[in-house]
Amino acid sequence: MLEINGIDCYYGKLHVLRNLSFKIGDEAVGLFGPNGAGKTTLINAIISLIKPAAGDIIFDGENITTSETHTIAKKGIALVPQERELFPEMTVYENLELGAAFIPHVKNRTAERLEFVYNFFPVLKEREKQHAGTMSGGQQRMLAIGRALMADPKLLILDEPSLGLQPSIVSELFEKLAEMKKHISVLVTEQNVRESLKSVDRGYVLENGEIALEDTAENLKSNPHVIKAYLGI
Amino acid sequence: MAERILKRPLYIIVGLLSAAVIVLLLFWKPTVVVYGVQRAGLYAGIALPMALILGIVHIVNLAHGEFMITAAYITYFLCNSFGMSPFAALVPVVIVMFLLGMLIFKFTIKHTLKAPELNQLILTFGLAMVLTQGLNLIATSQPRKISLDFVTSSATVGETTFGTYGFIYDLAAVLILAGLLFFLRKTKFGKAAVAVGQNPRGARIIGIDVNKIYILVFSLAIALTGIMGVLFLTSQSIFPLAGGSYTMKSFCLVAMAGMGSLPGIVFASIGLGIAESFIMSFQGYGGWSNIVFFALIIIVILIKSFKGKR
Repeated sequence: MLEINGIDCYYGKLHVLRNLSFKIGDEAVGLFGPNGAGKTTLINAIISLIKPAAGDIIFDGENITTSETHTIAKKGIALVPQERELFPEMTVYENLELGAAFIPHVKNRTAERLEFVYNFFPVLKEREKQHAGTMSGGQQRMLAIGRALMADPKLLILDEPSLGLQPSIVSELFEKLAEMKKHISVLVTEQNVRESLKSVDRGYVLENGEIALEDTAENLKSNPHVIKAYLGI
Repeated sequence: MAERILKRPLYIIVGLLSAAVIVLLLFWKPTVVVYGVQRAGLYAGIALPMALILGIVHIVNLAHGEFMITAAYITYFLCNSFGMSPFAALVPVVIVMFLLGMLIFKFTIKHTLKAPELNQLILTFGLAMVLTQGLNLIATSQPRKISLDFVTSSATVGETTFGTYGFIYDLAAVLILAGLLFFLRKTKFGKAAVAVGQNPRGARIIGIDVNKIYILVFSLAIALTGIMGVLFLTSQSIFPLAGGSYTMKSFCLVAMAGMGSLPGIVFASIGLGIAESFIMSFQGYGGWSNIVFFALIIIVILIKSFKGKR
């Protein structure tokens, strides 16, 4: 589904991603690594918010390396950014509505998508008329995920979904994530490796802009390096 | 909207007070109210497009009034060269202004969107000078006017006689307001514009072509100043520097109304229009009317900063 072949990314002279390649099929993939490893840069490169200096990004057989962000969104990649990037002065309903309005294959199915999202996050239905900017961090995160799901994407990318959330909500979130991957492909970056390993099929460990490890979730859980560096046992 | 206003006693008090003042004035100096409302229409008509680009998509345009005057000059030359009526010139002028807005956005403003806001200020300040001096070069600084006989039409109510043509500005302002509200609330393109204004990055990732929205909203605003330019020419004499004061007044009206509030522009304009025409009604003190504008600005900024502290 998504294939990244040897991309290099720079911020100015800083070499952030080094000849990085990986693949996502019909599965949920985790991307782990410490702060500054290049996780968010990689995501920004996928949706073309930054342009890689070298390498290709192929989505569904199509080269999207130089496509613009909005056309990539229309092709079926939805992003839940770390900073959520909601429309703070619009209501929950309006935020969700806009999530589907500009995506060709769902723009006439808003009602159906809305029902799906409300089923997933009932709290959003309760707060339908509330302004997004006035909700708590956890609710905003759910709204951001809801808005991304409105687009009925083929690939859902979540950038650090657990950041700033209380632990009970984090485990609820990853339960939802495990349910989501039945319908769509998921790429999730996380620092909370323990929780996210429960819901992904496969994982990559990113260190200093390079893939340090790649394995199934089961094997990663027992990998000595992962245990030492990320699970803290 | 209505509920929100009722919840704030300050708004009710200010509203009732202004209504009382207007009623008093109606008995004391009825022409002040009539001309004030006509003036308000002109101010609102010019400030509304600025509210659209400044309040909704956050582009600062210091050349706003200058665009309006440019449109007035284009109309003047169309009328003079082809013997067109200014109202017939409305269509070509609006189209030309839309295209001019697109060109200027593409070649200048687009490149400042990601830069600090100061760059936009300096750029559009420069644009204002280029437009003014360009007009000076082509049309000279001599004032121009076209004479139309229906402009002097008047009506008499009771014992007061007043010119009625100025109400065309009110009509234009109301139509522009209604059009913009419909555009922003009901059309998909308008909703996209609001989304881009609140969070351009968020808009991009849900599939909105942000650059297209910016250029179309900016050009739309410039086209609307075109409408006001045509109307401006019908009843006022124009000269290259005439636009500057409208830029300033539009800016202040947007600030008074509160960023992003389009109906607020109308109330702010009525306040400014009536206050100015009140001062002008005293023989020999007409020149003081500009003070009103500065006084209002200072008061509004003071009130807003006090509110911010709480």
